[in-house]
Amino acid sequence: MTVDLVGNLVFLIIGVVSIASVPFVVLAIESKDLLKAIIFSAVQSTLYSFLLFLLLAPDIVLVYVAVSVGLLPLLSTLLVKKVGRYEK
Amino acid sequence: MRSRDIAFALLILSILLILAVPTFLGALGSLPPENIRSLARSILGLTFNPYNKSLWTASPEAVAAIIWDYRGLDTLYETMVFYTAIIATLMLYREVLGSRDEVRGRGLSLIVKRGTAIALPAIVVVGLSTVLHGMLTPGGGFQGGAIMAVAPVVALIVFSRSIIEESRLTYAHLVALRSLALLGIVLVPLIPIIVTFGNAFIFQNQAKALYSFTYPSTVLDVPMGGLITFLNIFEGIAVFSAFTLAFTILLYSEKVSRKAVEGEDIGF
Repeated sequence: MTVDLVGNLVFLIIGVVSIASVPFVVLAIESKDLLKAIIFSAVQSTLYSFLLFLLLAPDIVLVYVAVSVGLLPLLSTLLVKKVGRYEK
Repeated sequence: MRSRDIAFALLILSILLILAVPTFLGALGSLPPENIRSLARSILGLTFNPYNKSLWTASPEAVAAIIWDYRGLDTLYETMVFYTAIIATLMLYREVLGSRDEVRGRGLSLIVKRGTAIALPAIVVVGLSTVLHGMLTPGGGFQGGAIMAVAPVVALIVFSRSIIEESRLTYAHLVALRSLALLGIVLVPLIPIIVTFGNAFIFQNQAKALYSFTYPSTVLDVPMGGLITFLNIFEGIAVFSAFTLAFTILLYSEKVSRKAVEGEDIGF
């Protein structure tokens, strides 16, 4: 099976970005430091927004960036401030 | 603990493989798709077609046309869901709504304050342009409103609550703004029926074969998509004020928020 690398460049980048997001998901789940977990999940969201942009869904990107990189980490950080930073 | 970690890694790997292998072998069909479905073809062909105005929307952006024109009622009910969610949030905090916070913070350092003061207008402008270009470029009411809502939230944290409480962005004003915007969203689809005494469809944008009512299709030579522009503006205002309301309430200090959840154990 031969793969046309140049013709499928966008799909290759999509594959690389989506595989790169997996370790961040794992780290966000595994991390006992909740603040770090929020940062990992924000990094994963950034990769996902890039993915959505490559899949030609700019409308979704505009909401996704504002909500998942801006508002959601902020809200979770405030929650962490109230309940304590380290998970036991 | 060790075997648990291995099981976790195996689970992630197997999920990846289950998703990746069929996709690679062509389970989703050829990527990118070679032919467009008939519904997509007709929408793309009709959305902005000045030669066949029987079903056009006067909006070059097909997504905005589907959201607010072809499938307008769906979006109306989605707006209703969002409205209900915010109402529920407000109801949980009904005892402290509109009251001032007891703790008076001083905000972050001067450098952060000045930097934020320069960036805040830019955030609002980007949001506004996303709302106002909703019928031309990707974006629209919800997107622009969500972008604009970042500004008051950042201001709340950087400048502390007191600056928001002393400004005009009070609870009463935000609720009034939001209610007016929602009233606008309800009225825009009904205006064709009211103005023509029933000789129009609900959500009628441009003139149809049966009824001739039409919203303006251009403003200053720019296609404006009739009711799409108005609905985007109202949706933007509604989303902005709703997010701001929710965050001002969630950012109350511990002292005030505790008052809202007192007696939770014996029911609301």
